[in-house]
Amino acid sequence: MPLHQLDDDSFEEIIYDNGEACLVVFSRKSCHVCQEVVPVLEELEYKYHGKFGFYRVDIEEQKTLFQRFSFKGVPQIIFFKNGEYQGKLSGKVEDEQVEEKISNTLD
Amino acid sequence: MKCEAKTKKIIVLGLDGMDPSLTKKFMDEGKLPNIKKFVERGAQREDLVMLGGLPTITPPLWTTLATGAYPGTHGITCFWNQDHDDLSGIVYNLDSRMSKAEPLWNVSAEAGKKTLVWHWPGSAWPPSSTNPNLYVVDGAQPAAVQMSAANVDTEKFLVASEKIKKVIYKPKYINETGAGCVIEELEEDKFSAEDAKALLERHKRPSIVNIELDHTRGELSLVMPPYDVINSPIKPAEGWVNAPEGAKEFSVITDNGLTRRPALVLKNAQGIYDRVAIYQSKNEKEPLFELEEDKLIVNVIDKVNVNGNLVPSTRSFKVLEIAPDGSEVRMWLGTAYDINNDERWHPKQLYRDVIDNVGYVPCFSQLGGKNYEFSARVLQPVWQNYAQWQADALNYLIEKHGFEIIFSHLHMIDAQGHIIWSFAKEREDSDTDPLAYQKLIENCYIHADEYIGSFLHLLDEEWTVIITSDHGLVCRQDLPPLLGDPGGVNVRVMQELGFTALKKDESGNELAEIDWEKTIAVNTRSAYIWLNLKGRNPHGIVDPADKYEVEEKIIDALYGYRDPKTGKGIVSLALRNKDAVILGLDGPETGDIVFFLKEGNNRTHGDCLPTAECYFDTSISPIFIAAGKGLKEGFTTTRVIREVDLTPTMAVLAGLRMPAQCEGAPVYQILED
Repeated sequence: MPLHQLDDDSFEEIIYDNGEACLVVFSRKSCHVCQEVVPVLEELEYKYHGKFGFYRVDIEEQKTLFQRFSFKGVPQIIFFKNGEYQGKLSGKVEDEQVEEKISNTLD
Repeated sequence: MKCEAKTKKIIVLGLDGMDPSLTKKFMDEGKLPNIKKFVERGAQREDLVMLGGLPTITPPLWTTLATGAYPGTHGITCFWNQDHDDLSGIVYNLDSRMSKAEPLWNVSAEAGKKTLVWHWPGSAWPPSSTNPNLYVVDGAQPAAVQMSAANVDTEKFLVASEKIKKVIYKPKYINETGAGCVIEELEEDKFSAEDAKALLERHKRPSIVNIELDHTRGELSLVMPPYDVINSPIKPAEGWVNAPEGAKEFSVITDNGLTRRPALVLKNAQGIYDRVAIYQSKNEKEPLFELEEDKLIVNVIDKVNVNGNLVPSTRSFKVLEIAPDGSEVRMWLGTAYDINNDERWHPKQLYRDVIDNVGYVPCFSQLGGKNYEFSARVLQPVWQNYAQWQADALNYLIEKHGFEIIFSHLHMIDAQGHIIWSFAKEREDSDTDPLAYQKLIENCYIHADEYIGSFLHLLDEEWTVIITSDHGLVCRQDLPPLLGDPGGVNVRVMQELGFTALKKDESGNELAEIDWEKTIAVNTRSAYIWLNLKGRNPHGIVDPADKYEVEEKIIDALYGYRDPKTGKGIVSLALRNKDAVILGLDGPETGDIVFFLKEGNNRTHGDCLPTAECYFDTSISPIFIAAGKGLKEGFTTTRVIREVDLTPTMAVLAGLRMPAQCEGAPVYQILED
């Protein structure tokens, strides 16, 4: 299932107001690494349903959000819990790396 | 050589950029009562002048002041040194390991005197003696204590308004207009966030290449340093556990965009919105802290998110405006410092001692420039607060630790000079009010007077007090053609003269890259030209046999160059390396040719002779005032006092041996008989 997309308002609400433990992947449709990484996350989302949130920001549509974090490229996966940033993964990643980071975030 | 001591205790109050001409002007107008007292009780020249060393740049001259050696001798020759492997590269040199001269503080510590070196931006950090009498605080960059090591988040300006529709966090914003801070549209920056980050973090990198095609990567980058801008909507408070009736909310974004602190705008009993409360989250009952309009709040402790780790840090705030109806808030957030970072303190326990007894190190600000409100309401009061903290810290250390020799430095005047001095004159590209900026310059000197006044009591406690600076600062005329900027390779004039060539892309557009195959020579840094020499430089094209002749050709061309705007020459002096010994600028660390720009063709400082004067009675000269034990009282001398003379004068006063490379002479004329 496609990941739930965030915009400026929903980013504030989900990450900071709700303080949900989650990840947000910043990606672009034309980026081939993103095309490999996003499906990995879509599969994992199913496994972590109800325990950990999976969201996506399309950087072509959400330029202000992209610029805010000064990322050097995409894909970038950033992790949050209780409204606090927990770290990130950049570029091509495997599902084990994402799961390890989720586990660290939930600890 | 060693003399009998005339005093046991000496403090140098170093004020970066302090200019004798402006000091005398304001002192004679009765605005600097404390400095006047030092002058009346002291011994110095009538005009308060010290003949400045060259180039008129911070790290070489503070090194000269501490060693008595010329830059050609100690080897620190500009803000950056030359990368000898790449003529376009420059090497960060606020590092004591690059100095070849012995500082007086090592001599005094080794002679058994408890010695403190406080934020001295010239070959002080890391400590170069292991003697336990030597105490050193920072000095790894010129700005302020803690900036180079403990800085975990850049300063910011926030505009929150009911008119703003969404949260925007714009990192490393360069405000060229001086207005606003409301981000209207997100355009592609010509100066990218990455460039801006490099600019802010240049003190953390050992070597950089900065090819300057115009002034924006040189002098102008100092007028408008980048900062983060936050825009947030203001809305009725929603979803809060404990928001008072009528409260409105907005978001404060920090930590590279990663952290949000929700905030409330609160009203008083009369229904006027007059406070801002910042919270950890909407679920908290109590705010982290509250802020009122126009009140500088320093060193609030909060956690800064650094790569996912929460680092306890200080941050300062000032709300410039809260609209009475709560519809708008404008607020400054200072640089955050990690409170547990003691990297730049030697010995490390000195840090804990100072923060426990004097308070956390406050931040400084770089906001201002064309924006008068920032200059007057942020830049100046923030520096004033920092100077007060530094005076308190030094006085605490004097009282509790029994230091006998203190070298101290405060950057307040130079820091404001680069940002606001040029607006004391009418500018074509700016609608700023020169008189208002002249008043800011006066205020800056009044704050310097307050700082110096904090040490007046030392004159009655058998101390010798020396007030000095590395160079002055001018309110410049127009910027000169691109030659002599200390921050990199100056392309344009040398290109026009046919000595420097740039590479081009396939379409023939020039690139910011030197074409070494066609380059005879480059001007790097404030005063130096290097030939692209075969056998010495990686892509050398000049035959060593032709070196003398090519140097002559370049020197002639520099003297013959005319500014296309004025038709006038811009170079006052150009010498071969061997001849530059007369200025103390020969040797391997300067250049094949050493040159300086003419008076009236210079930047705020750095590129001209130290005798240059400019608009609003500003001058490039450094200052020298000395008072207290071992010195004549109420005495003036006509003796030319040079920067190399400070160290030998202090050595004679304190009965110390001369440092090994000292080239100056004691100012005998001012010493007590």
